[in-house]
Amino acid sequence: MATQTAHAEQDVKPKSLIDYIQKDLPEHLDWWPYTLGAIPMTLFGILVGTGLLLTFYYVPSTERAYESVDQITHEIYLGWFVRGLHKTSVDLMILFLLFHVIRVFLTRAYQAPGELKWVSGSIVLFVTFAMGFTGYSLVFDNVSYWGMTVVTNMIGTLPVIGMPLLHLLRGGEDVSGVTLLRLYDLHTKLLPVLLGGLVIGHVVIVRLMGFVEVKESRHFHQFYPEHTLKMGMIAVGLLVVIVDLVMIFPPVLGPPANPQEVASDVSPPWYFSAPFMWITLLPGPLALWTLIGASGLFVVYPFLDRALVERGVPMELVNRVVATVAVAAMVALMYLDTQM
Amino acid sequence: MAIVHDDAGRRRFLSQAVMGFGMLFGIGTLGLRFVQFLIPSGKEKPLETVLIGAASKIPMGEAVSMDLGGQKLLVLKTDDGVVAFSRRCTDLGCLVSWNKEREQFICPCHQGTFDKTGRNISGPPPRPLDRFMITKRGEQLYVSIQSA
Ligand code: FES
Repeated sequence: MATQTAHAEQDVKPKSLIDYIQKDLPEHLDWWPYTLGAIPMTLFGILVGTGLLLTFYYVPSTERAYESVDQITHEIYLGWFVRGLHKTSVDLMILFLLFHVIRVFLTRAYQAPGELKWVSGSIVLFVTFAMGFTGYSLVFDNVSYWGMTVVTNMIGTLPVIGMPLLHLLRGGEDVSGVTLLRLYDLHTKLLPVLLGGLVIGHVVIVRLMGFVEVKESRHFHQFYPEHTLKMGMIAVGLLVVIVDLVMIFPPVLGPPANPQEVASDVSPPWYFSAPFMWITLLPGPLALWTLIGASGLFVVYPFLDRALVERGVPMELVNRVVATVAVAAMVALMYLDTQM
Repeated sequence: MAIVHDDAGRRRFLSQAVMGFGMLFGIGTLGLRFVQFLIPSGKEKPLETVLIGAASKIPMGEAVSMDLGGQKLLVLKTDDGVVAFSRRCTDLGCLVSWNKEREQFICPCHQGTFDKTGRNISGPPPRPLDRFMITKRGEQLYVSIQSA
């Protein structure tokens, strides 16, 4: 009997997933920083599209990888443009993910009951970094070859799981063709599927959990057409900016991988340059441990926040200080990297 | 609080728990097999003795770079004799090069430096460079390496 009444109620108020996603938004979402999450999502779409195109020409073998990237960049019609779109979109995706994280952090939008939003989002961030690493390894120029060596070795220094994980990633003792193939598979199969699922999961969680309450916000901002229209406009604007950026900064290619000689400058792409400088400045294990510790702290931050609030810590202020220090440290490390 | 002797409930719980664990175990071992599929088969590499040439051919204070069976090494001749170091930096595996003026091995990746005895003197490297045994038979030098 009970199930029947439940059914009857559902007939009156059907609530499908679509309803949840189309639910109106609180008024403060009218403000543009609250669309920062939609930008990486749009970029992810561009990345999937251009990435698919690139796989038609890319060959994941040590003999042909560099050559095929060279071909894409210099011979194939609009190849440079497709590769440029792919490259620029990664840069922007990570940049806007960071902006999004900072916005959420400063407004403390991760507060109960939204911890899951933060945790799922931080996994999205980490997987995106993994995509960045595997992607730039595929180019197989000398910088990426040695980057691959250094990063896999770094994983190998982890206790217990380090060495097995290193062998799993490299498919042997050393960086070889098997390694390239594994990173290729991760980059084009496992990780994108994982990332796609995580992004959908993250958005669904955000919609189901709802947005954080802002005190003065009483009115509602329509999801459709207002918010969707705004996001659409942002997407179009973004596309224009990306196309411009690709035109101004077409993709380049360094000298090919040379296992006999380390590249003179092994600086990774900008989004890895801060941790790169960090491991250069600090003695090995300490650098790695602080990085792992910081990432762990990052994931559990909402719970930390709650515990600290109970002890009467003014988290609003703390977050502002933490964000400023973190951004300043990152910029300083990146600057140092360009100086070396 | 009274103890509820709900045997039927307990029995169901127990059997479900056992089933659940069994299932997890089964799927877990299956998953582990698949991971094993991905793990490279590591064979113990045999120790080999490779001829590197006559001692007199190696110039003083110079490090000769060679690639023997996948092992990259630098053979260095100083006043103390001839030594063979692995070029693999003990930090994160970049290749070190010999800087003659400074009499140091330099790793370009994170600016690790080693002195001429292979000792790590600055930068992130946690331990000295690996050394290979050199044996002398007559004029000829041989180095013992684990070839790949
Ligand atoms: S790999 Fe040589 S200093 Fe880091």
